[in-house]
Amino acid sequence: MDKQKLVLIGNGMAGVRCMEEILREAPDLYEITIFGAEPHLNYNRIQLSAVLQGSTTFDDITINDRNWYNEQNIELFTGETVLKIDTEKQELLTDKGRRHPYNRLIIATGSMPFLLPVPGKDIEGVVTFRTIEDCQKMMETAKHYHKAMVIGGGVLGLEAAKGLLNLGMEVTVVHNGPHLMERQLDETAAKLLQTELEKQGLRFLFEKETKEICGSNRVERVSFKDGTEAAADLVVMAAGVRPNIQLAKESGIATNRAILVNDYMETNIPNIYAVGECVEHRGMVYGLVKPLYDQGKVLAKRICGLRGKGYEGTVLSTQLKISGVDVFSVGQFSCDDRLQSIVIFDELDGVYKKMVFEKSRMVGAVLFGDTSDRTRLLDMIMKRQDVSDLEKVTLFQALNRDGNSAASMAHSEMICNCNGVAKGTIIEAVQKNGLTTVDQVKKCTKASGACGGCKPLVADLLNYIHSDEFDEGIEQKSMCSCTTLTEDEVVHEMQWQGLTTVQEVMEVLGWENKEGCSACRPALAYYLGMIYPEYERKQENLYISEQRMAIIQKDGTYTVIPQMYGGKTSAEQLRMIATVAEKFGITNIAVTSEQRIHLMGVKKKDLSALLADLDMQVSSTYGNMVQNVKTSIGEHICHCDKHSSMELAVSLEKRLEFLITPYRVTLGVSACLHNGAGSTTKDIGVIGTGLGWEIYVGGSSGRNVRAGKLLSLGTKNQDVIEIICAFIQYYRETANFLERTWQWIERVGLVHVREVIFDFELRQQLLFRLEKDTMFRKRFSGKQMSGIEINNQQ
Amino acid sequence: MTEALLKYFRTKEQEVKSEKRYDSQCPYCSMQCKMQLIEQSIVSRKKYITIGKDNPTSEGRLCVKGMNAHQHAFHKERLKYPLVKINGEFVRVSWKEALNHIKENFMKIQEESGQNALAVYGSASITNEEAYLLGKFARVALKTKYIDYNGRLCMSAAASAANQTFGLDRGFTNSLAEIPYTRCIILAGTNIAECQPTIMPYFERAKENGAYIIAIDPRETATTKLADLHLKPRPGTDAVLANGLLKVMIEENYVDEKFIQERVNGFEEVRKYVLSLSMKEIEEITGVPIQLIRKAAVRFGSEESGMIFTARGVEQHTNGSKTVRNFLNILVSTGKIGKPNCGYGAITGQGNGQGAREHGQKADQLPGYRSIENDEHRNYVASIWGIDPDDLPRKGVSAYEMMEKIHEGEIKGLFLMCSNPIVSNPNAHFVKEAMKKLTFFVAVDLFVSETARLADVILPASSYLEDEGTMTNVEGRVTLREASLPCPGEAKHDWQIICDLARVLGKEEYFSFSSAEEIFTELRMASRGGTADYFGITYERLRKEGGLLWPCPETNHIGTKRLFETSFAHPDGKAAMVVVPNIAEIPKEQLCEEFPLYLTTGRVMSHYLTGVQTRKSPALAARNIEPFMEIHPATAAKFQIQDQSLVKIESRRGSVMVRSKWSETIRHDTIFVPFHWADSQNINLLVSKELDPECKMPGFKVSAVKVSPVVDFLT
Repeated sequence: MDKQKLVLIGNGMAGVRCMEEILREAPDLYEITIFGAEPHLNYNRIQLSAVLQGSTTFDDITINDRNWYNEQNIELFTGETVLKIDTEKQELLTDKGRRHPYNRLIIATGSMPFLLPVPGKDIEGVVTFRTIEDCQKMMETAKHYHKAMVIGGGVLGLEAAKGLLNLGMEVTVVHNGPHLMERQLDETAAKLLQTELEKQGLRFLFEKETKEICGSNRVERVSFKDGTEAAADLVVMAAGVRPNIQLAKESGIATNRAILVNDYMETNIPNIYAVGECVEHRGMVYGLVKPLYDQGKVLAKRICGLRGKGYEGTVLSTQLKISGVDVFSVGQFSCDDRLQSIVIFDELDGVYKKMVFEKSRMVGAVLFGDTSDRTRLLDMIMKRQDVSDLEKVTLFQALNRDGNSAASMAHSEMICNCNGVAKGTIIEAVQKNGLTTVDQVKKCTKASGACGGCKPLVADLLNYIHSDEFDEGIEQKSMCSCTTLTEDEVVHEMQWQGLTTVQEVMEVLGWENKEGCSACRPALAYYLGMIYPEYERKQENLYISEQRMAIIQKDGTYTVIPQMYGGKTSAEQLRMIATVAEKFGITNIAVTSEQRIHLMGVKKKDLSALLADLDMQVSSTYGNMVQNVKTSIGEHICHCDKHSSMELAVSLEKRLEFLITPYRVTLGVSACLHNGAGSTTKDIGVIGTGLGWEIYVGGSSGRNVRAGKLLSLGTKNQDVIEIICAFIQYYRETANFLERTWQWIERVGLVHVREVIFDFELRQQLLFRLEKDTMFRKRFSGKQMSGIEINNQQ
Repeated sequence: MTEALLKYFRTKEQEVKSEKRYDSQCPYCSMQCKMQLIEQSIVSRKKYITIGKDNPTSEGRLCVKGMNAHQHAFHKERLKYPLVKINGEFVRVSWKEALNHIKENFMKIQEESGQNALAVYGSASITNEEAYLLGKFARVALKTKYIDYNGRLCMSAAASAANQTFGLDRGFTNSLAEIPYTRCIILAGTNIAECQPTIMPYFERAKENGAYIIAIDPRETATTKLADLHLKPRPGTDAVLANGLLKVMIEENYVDEKFIQERVNGFEEVRKYVLSLSMKEIEEITGVPIQLIRKAAVRFGSEESGMIFTARGVEQHTNGSKTVRNFLNILVSTGKIGKPNCGYGAITGQGNGQGAREHGQKADQLPGYRSIENDEHRNYVASIWGIDPDDLPRKGVSAYEMMEKIHEGEIKGLFLMCSNPIVSNPNAHFVKEAMKKLTFFVAVDLFVSETARLADVILPASSYLEDEGTMTNVEGRVTLREASLPCPGEAKHDWQIICDLARVLGKEEYFSFSSAEEIFTELRMASRGGTADYFGITYERLRKEGGLLWPCPETNHIGTKRLFETSFAHPDGKAAMVVVPNIAEIPKEQLCEEFPLYLTTGRVMSHYLTGVQTRKSPALAARNIEPFMEIHPATAAKFQIQDQSLVKIESRRGSVMVRSKWSETIRHDTIFVPFHWADSQNINLLVSKELDPECKMPGFKVSAVKVSPVVDFLT
């Protein structure tokens, strides 16, 4: 199917902007053609005054270059004027005789400068200020002539005047009203502005109406209706603009002051839309960029068939773009019996601020000398915020006087009002794309791409993002000073490259310190053990083997701990222990806090024989392993039944013994709320309650005591065991070496841990792997006896 | 979907082998967010991801419930076969056996004790087609007058209030799209941030656009944080607060005289009544300072547009209907309805809370929001169903009243579809007792819920991923829930179960449907000309247009975005205001020395209703593993209650044990407990059986209780 033909008349800011929106919403919907009467690509007309003032160049104000049109498959005809729209046949006729059909048509013909209807308006040296050509003509004139006169003391006139002044001309601004910018400023602000501009070198004539422009070959002087006159070599007419509606009118489209459109920018003729300065919406004709862009967005949605709200008008704000002059105006600025105001006038610093209210809502403001609050005020006005709750003086307090104003803004606050770009959007773009200049931000987000008024704010924000204050990214720490790799990267490489020894890891991964350090050596050994369960066996030496059975002490003797699951023992066991102790002369025997009997001071030469005689399981929880479970047995503070908790503790010990972990894991099982086993300060603690078992995790009874967090509840012992085993296995599989359970929980999140272990399938997988690991280690431990014997024979 | 972190490769999964996609809608609230489940097959297992799909209501957003909704559907405890209880144990049987067993028992009960000895209890979680068919099943197949549904506990107050004030009950009088442009919003007793999270951006946008938001809630929630003004009334005094607001608006002339003149009845009586009230007294009753009441009233009154939203917080009271009407009094007297950016919204709770209350599951109702006591309506529906109007039973009783009839022995057999009444009803202990008294009880469910445990037969139903049908969302927008996942095991759709059962009962001719769409076609006819007119809606249109707001009387009608633009739905076209006295007809439980605190209840973000589905979903259970009691630290100190400790809460009806959670932002005289848990933590054990006389809503939101620590002392 052929694509529908969408045609845009007018290659200016409003039309092309709307086209960009259309391409964003539905890139492939239309075959697009643009006709522009000017011989240029789409450029930023607002910035012409900056060009004239010398702060930017023609090249810099092009919005879309030829490539853009090509990339978007837009057929562009520049320097070609559309003469007629045949609304019946849906076809255009241009001044080059071209006929072009359309399915949908957007008229964005903008406006024309208003030429005062006075004699002499066509003489050489009389110019308007609208196009690149006008700008070039003024710049050219400034090279040869001296006296310039600007007719019109509005924004455009003043910007042109300042430009000509910068070009070295002597400039007089002639204004028919009593003060400057009377559509934007009250008298006080206007007078301040006048004083400032006079200081810069401009001259002003007020309440003068032009009668005639005189000169033979070119302009020589201008005479006024009050009989006075003034000499001039150049006259710039900046007395306003008129919407360009001739074409629409002649083609039968309804017009008034401009082309009439509804809230969706539709004209009275089907399939014909209009946008921009040539449009009259709800009785308003706009000449500023923000409303035109707002209209463009609405129209784009309409044309793409998307849902969206209609255009409802725009709150107008103006900022004068003259360097060294800060003037801002929005909404209502003069008071009548309906409106009230709050004013501060600081003559010392030349700052004037006025806020105008209707009842308790701000409806307008004028700022002179300090416009840093403009975004905030504009926001309040647009939201029609009620200020009756506010301490009024706070309205005048700049949010961050000494610091950076962008820093204190909320992420959702607008930085660029024209293009509607929020602070958060810019931060994201800067971080994602590594932007460093305002220009890059403009290209990427369009912020400051329209009127350019927010450029300082964008710059502020950029500075802030790149400052030390700004702290959003998290830097990864390396494993230790021997390497630049993070712990996760090292573990990844060990598996990826199949590295099987500590030495190999350090060599292949380019350790700076060839021997490693006290931080990385044990860590690497641990990871090798986790990756290759058989690693420890291969690396087996006496030291580790003995550790499994006994704990070596400072003086070279050993401590042997007969295993008593759950802290319970029997007469037989005690008799056996006593016999062994007597036989090997063990005098140092203790009952410890881990509810086990410790036989201390065993000589190395006796160890093997003692273990053989003992004929009991031994417990060795030295190092980073699951510790024996603390129970509330023997606690006489309450009479609660302890039976079930003992069963639970014994089952846990049997399932978890000999398991290596990132850091030692303590457990406690308390039978009742009286918490006899101190379960809330263990890595894993269980407490019996009226609701079943409560399972706490991440507690610590170290120097910095931490209470455990409630992980889950369980009614059956089997559920509790599964949850705890799955928890430990997940900790083993994902925690870094020496990372405590509470640190690990804080890092990955308690909710995440629950999600994993509550998931039936994932839990089963964890339990399966835990089982595999414990079986392996138990088999391995069982062979230790012979291992020690072999060592002794050597 | 929960994914474990991977540090060691041996646990690493293989690449995705194949992918399937299933469209559906989230089952967990009235937003009915459109979504798609992506099933990726990996060597050893299947992996699921849920993504949001664009639509006019949720605009593609999903909350944590939606993203994890599939977890219960794939849970290993899903029922896959019919079960019959033999000697106290559930045993798998064939469908044929199960159906015959039901037939024999149902027929025996009706032969011995009459048609009305059987009752049907429905749900607002089922589709429109199923709700419609269940109503028809009760009246045509079982010929019993006893049918009602769990929506009675949810939407009945708002529904009856809207019917009485406007003459029509559609949850929202406007589409959601208007919310961002209103100037003032009253959120009365609604915690949308946790209950309907995907609706929040509409309110956030309104706030960004400068709207002033007033929240009414005895405690601070994620929703009240959005508000500019938060009023914290004493639980159960919302109607009085509304009187205060009205009084200020009338006295200070914020009412719309012209609107009242042209479109409202009953204003004068309301005016006289509220002007006779004393603000001081209102302040004393509600605990809300006069100046805050005034501020709220002036704000709402002075803005050019405004909306009021209510939810269970003000509705689940024994004067819930009147309370809502008093908020509607505010709306109509300020003329803020029937025009752009103005209107009322009852934030529906359940997935199909709207549609399920329109087509005949209610005790007194016939399809299209018709009345079962209106002869014209009876004749019309009987003609569609092809039965004699005289054979159509009259109205029955409400959900809780049905439990009483069971307890009394009048009702002996029950057909329960997708609901968990022993957890969700008030006076839950009594309800459980009643259910145990049933001679024969059939439950249709996804799981063996707490209630289903007591059943004689459990039939396995289909989930939202499997069961196609229409759902009417919070706006009153009819949407088509696509569903194409095959049912697990021998599970069947609710509508298939109804048809099968009708067949064995010898009523096949009235229930010979072979697809949900066929049922919908009949529903369209049955609703035609009724208040909730679906006639113009077809599956084809729903697929193409993405949802239609009823009424939609013709197939070329675009649906009704804004109600009451020119007139209200009463015969004279006017809205009806009503005097809502400060003293309610049914007295609420007052605090006393023995029971010194108010208990109020509600939801948490990650759970839904009685939790049968969400408590089984790991990602949702992970977020709230248990209920809690929110209590002010000062109150806690008074009753020796530590933070995060077990407490016993008791009312005159019963007691529960939960963990405490200190909150600086709740009223000192009030505690809050969420209601998604069962058994010894079922908070409804504490709630009284008193009902709103107008809509039969129980008073879930206020009970007098006492609290005490669970012994930590040595005895």
